[in-house]
Amino acid sequence: MRTTKRSNTSIKTKYYQIITLLFVLIVLTVSVLFFYINTQQSRLKSEREVLQTKANIIDELAGTLNEVFFRARGYIALKSTNELGLLNTALENLDGILNQYAGLNLSPEEAEYREALSAFYTNYKSQTLPKVMRLVENDDYEGIRTLSQSGSTKSLNDFLAYTKAFKESSDQQLSDMADRSILRADSYTVAAFGISAFLLLFFTLMIWRGLKILIDPIVRLEEATHSLAAGETVLLGKLEKQDEIGRLYEAFLNMAHSIQDKEEELTMQNEELYAQQDELQDQQFKLERSLSEIESMMKALDQTSAVGILSDKGLFTYANSNLSSYTGYRNAEIIGYPFRLFELLNMTSSQMEQIISKLSTGGNWSGEIEVLVKDGQESVWLHMTVMPYLNDEGKVYQYILIANNITSLKSVQQQLAVTLQNTEQTTFMLERYNRLNHELTYTLDKQEFAEKFSGFMNQIYDFDSSLFLLVQDKITVVKGVPQANVERYLDHHHSEILHRLGEEQSYIIQRVGSPREQGISPDEVYCYDLYTSVVGSSNEILAVFCGSRIGRTFTEEELSEIQGLMSRVALAIERLMMYEEIEHGRKLNRDIVNNVNEGIQFVNTEGVMQHINKALSELFRYSDWTEGSLVPAEDWLEAFTGKSNESAELRQFYEHAMSESAMDSSTMKYSLGTEEIQHVDVYAIPVLRREDRIGTLFVHRDITREYELDLMKSELVSTVSHELRTPLSSVLGFTELLLSKTMKPEKQLKYLETIHKEAKRLTELINDFLDLQRMESGTQQYNVEPAHLSEIVLGVIDQYKLSSTHHILLEDDAVQDEVAVDKDKIIQVLTNLLSNAIKFSPGSHEVKVLLHNEPNRIIVRVHDQGLGIPKNQIGQLFQKFRRVDNSASKRIGGTGLGLAICKEIIEKHKGTIGIESVEGEGTTVWFSLPMELAEDSGHVEESAKWGADKEQKPNVMIVEDDYSLSLLLSEELKGKGFRVTHHYHPQKAFDQALKSSFVAIVVDLMLGVELDGWDLIRMLKNDPRTEQVPIVISSALDKTDKSMLENVKTYLTKPYPPGELSNTLQEIVEIQLKSGEVLFPDNDC
Amino acid sequence: MQRVLVVDDEEVLRMLIEDTLEDLENVEIHTAENGTEALTKLSEELYDLVILDYMMPEMTGIEVLEALEKEQKNAMPILMLTAKAQENDRSKAREAGARYFMPKPFSPMELLQIVEGILSENNEAL
Repeated sequence: MRTTKRSNTSIKTKYYQIITLLFVLIVLTVSVLFFYINTQQSRLKSEREVLQTKANIIDELAGTLNEVFFRARGYIALKSTNELGLLNTALENLDGILNQYAGLNLSPEEAEYREALSAFYTNYKSQTLPKVMRLVENDDYEGIRTLSQSGSTKSLNDFLAYTKAFKESSDQQLSDMADRSILRADSYTVAAFGISAFLLLFFTLMIWRGLKILIDPIVRLEEATHSLAAGETVLLGKLEKQDEIGRLYEAFLNMAHSIQDKEEELTMQNEELYAQQDELQDQQFKLERSLSEIESMMKALDQTSAVGILSDKGLFTYANSNLSSYTGYRNAEIIGYPFRLFELLNMTSSQMEQIISKLSTGGNWSGEIEVLVKDGQESVWLHMTVMPYLNDEGKVYQYILIANNITSLKSVQQQLAVTLQNTEQTTFMLERYNRLNHELTYTLDKQEFAEKFSGFMNQIYDFDSSLFLLVQDKITVVKGVPQANVERYLDHHHSEILHRLGEEQSYIIQRVGSPREQGISPDEVYCYDLYTSVVGSSNEILAVFCGSRIGRTFTEEELSEIQGLMSRVALAIERLMMYEEIEHGRKLNRDIVNNVNEGIQFVNTEGVMQHINKALSELFRYSDWTEGSLVPAEDWLEAFTGKSNESAELRQFYEHAMSESAMDSSTMKYSLGTEEIQHVDVYAIPVLRREDRIGTLFVHRDITREYELDLMKSELVSTVSHELRTPLSSVLGFTELLLSKTMKPEKQLKYLETIHKEAKRLTELINDFLDLQRMESGTQQYNVEPAHLSEIVLGVIDQYKLSSTHHILLEDDAVQDEVAVDKDKIIQVLTNLLSNAIKFSPGSHEVKVLLHNEPNRIIVRVHDQGLGIPKNQIGQLFQKFRRVDNSASKRIGGTGLGLAICKEIIEKHKGTIGIESVEGEGTTVWFSLPMELAEDSGHVEESAKWGADKEQKPNVMIVEDDYSLSLLLSEELKGKGFRVTHHYHPQKAFDQALKSSFVAIVVDLMLGVELDGWDLIRMLKNDPRTEQVPIVISSALDKTDKSMLENVKTYLTKPYPPGELSNTLQEIVEIQLKSGEVLFPDNDC
Repeated sequence: MQRVLVVDDEEVLRMLIEDTLEDLENVEIHTAENGTEALTKLSEELYDLVILDYMMPEMTGIEVLEALEKEQKNAMPILMLTAKAQENDRSKAREAGARYFMPKPFSPMELLQIVEGILSENNEAL
């Protein structure tokens, strides 16, 4: 990249480019000029050629014409045929030239001439010539003369004149053209000169500019070189050029810089050399000074240390006074003697040998020696340095020995060593003790604590056996003691020891060791038992430690140490006990907090949640909190308020309650959940500790029940008020109408009836309401006594027998119907259910009551085929004032309290009540009551005769309008295992007989006004579906109508004993069973 | 001839109102026993006054009013009979377009007066 760029911008290239450009420019200009001139010339030339051609042709034309006339005159004059032939040839020539002339580029005037000429030619050839020929042949020269004078020759003459003129003009034109070309040639010369001048100017400009570009920097460079040579700093600006000059510039700059740098370096080196010289002088000076110092040091050494010189043979040649005074030898006693003169106490002879061999090879030795003083018991410690002196050959020629007395130092050192050892031991103890302290402090479990402490004691005091006992918790830790011994100790010796320890904190018993303790020792051993107690702050014994050592007693130090330890342990145990107490309290508190129904939440002043109880985590289904964890404000606020339906309000409440300004308690209600809504009341209260706020306590209480009760209550109040106002409106309204208007007596009566009816309704409503209130509040009295439910049911049905629009059918399948009830209340229930069934089945005429047993209970079902109840409303029916809300049922009216009352009554009897219904098809309300257990179960056994299944029981119909009699008969029959269906209306009985199968039908003759028993028998016997059913007459009448008797199986005349009927029926059944012809009419026919 | 529609689920009350208003001259009384029937009748013909019970099963008086409002047919005077005297119910009814109220139990003579007043106001307006 860089090189191409450089080549592009280099001067050489630039000038190559300029020269090329110039060359191209010149060539281009010259060729353009040449081309232009050339074209101009050739155009002129062609123009001239055209003119020449035209002139030639016109010349030729004129010649030919003259020839024609000449030949024609010749012919006319000579009559020669030869002349005629030549004339014809001239004519043909003329035609050819004319055609040639027509091919030329002609001016309009010329074209006219040509036209005239061709016309003349044509005329001449076709008319004039033959005419002339004829005239010549006829020699009519007169005619020829006339002919020649006719105008036809005029144009010819004109043409001839024209040719002459044309010739002149074309000559003129040609000369003009020549003049023009000369003029043009002049202008070309001028232009060529101009261009050459311009090119020359341009060339000069380029050279001037190039020189300027080249010369300027070179001049600057020259100046810079001069200044560089003069040793000045080169101040060259940067040259923004990439060409050779630029590079030269750059190179020069670099060179100048490097020269300057080197110069600086040289200067620096020079300075350094100067400094070194100074230093050398300095050192020399120092050397001299130290030499003198050494001399004085030598003197000092001589005074402070012992100095000796030994020869190469190891004999003292010099010894100073210190050496004498240290060793006790006089100078004379040393000089000339070997070193072995001195007895060294701390060195063996082999060590000596080693030192000597080292010294003799030129090495130094330095060390401490203990020298025995001459003739004395004392020794002296010397720190000695021995240096061999070598001669030029490297051989030792003498040894210098310098020694200092370090005896006092040595003794201090020894003392120090002893102290150090003691300190180490103490440190070890302290470390142990510290570790124990640490462990005791951080151990929260008593057992662990005891183990650690016991371990520590054994480690430090090396007991052979030990026992540590925490008195209160009976926690023991033993070493080397069998468990049995521990128990024996706890049982027998414990209180004894405690007693003694109460008097003195610790004691030691020395005793002869047992054979086990003696082991393999041949002699008797003594054992030392240490008993010591840990005494609490209120002087009670917290723990006991017993430790036994075989053959080793306890020192005073150990005892006092142990004593100190015990008081430390006392603190630890008390702390442990306190911790346990606190822990217990904390757990208790936690359990209490967790077991309250209210959700409790504690939040500190930073909004961090520190505690929530179980109830609250269940309430919010929040499981992120565990004991001891801290939840930041945003986390729990998000989680809690997010679950509430009043998210924003709850957050606001929280934030306000936690704010510092909120010093009073505040409360709020919110709800949770969408399907099963929980209503919660929360109150917040600041928690204070010594008047400082430490956080906020929130207590959440689930008030769903209260809330719903409240809601129900207000709903009830509004419903009751509505229910009461409607009849009241009628009563007041009609009364007012009666008072204020005059009307017909019939109308008055109608109004009064309405008022009465509505007032009654009002009374009923109030009674029902009060009843219910009494029942709900529990003040209702129940007079419970044994009763037969069938009897009660039949009694109620009997009430409806005459008054009702509906026929009430009882299917009694209950073998056992003994119940303990308040009869009046059950009658109330049944009346209610029956009137409901009648009211809500306006289109039907039948209500069925069924009784049957289930294990330990009896069930009553009241079934109608009425309006039915929508599925979603069934559940609400037992609530107060709930009626099925549709206009059909609305028209029927009622207080809306009946079923609620029934439910209360049945539930008070420990029974259950329920509704099954299909809208539009009918409703069954059922209730069950618990059985009073019968004394004899004989009925059951007998009923088992035909199987327990109710479908297999023989079904008997009783048609009887006296309900007590009907009841009596049914009791008897049920007792024998029959199923009984009651009827009191013959037509209904007949309809029923068609639908169900009966083993027999018991008919009373005196039944009603419209139809009687005989009618029924007749109907039954006349229908093929029922004619086979055996009929038993039960009547107070004597057998009168003989004709009908053949249709009757048995005729019982009242009064007859009840057993007779059942016996009769049993006989009938048995006969049927034997003959296998139990009659079951088809149900669907 | 002016036309009054009485809407009440209680037959006795319909009778009472009918009988109360029967003496008014040039007034025809029509009845409906529930909201649905009332709406049908109101869509078929024009009435000069509607006497509407508040508490009715299936469709309350308020719901009837709201249905009328939706169809923009609540321009006629509406007299609301209400056993609920609570103020909030009233304001709800007022918002839905009821102009007159009468608490239950009511005095027939007072009702007569009010109805007369409303109908004569209607006449003047005409």
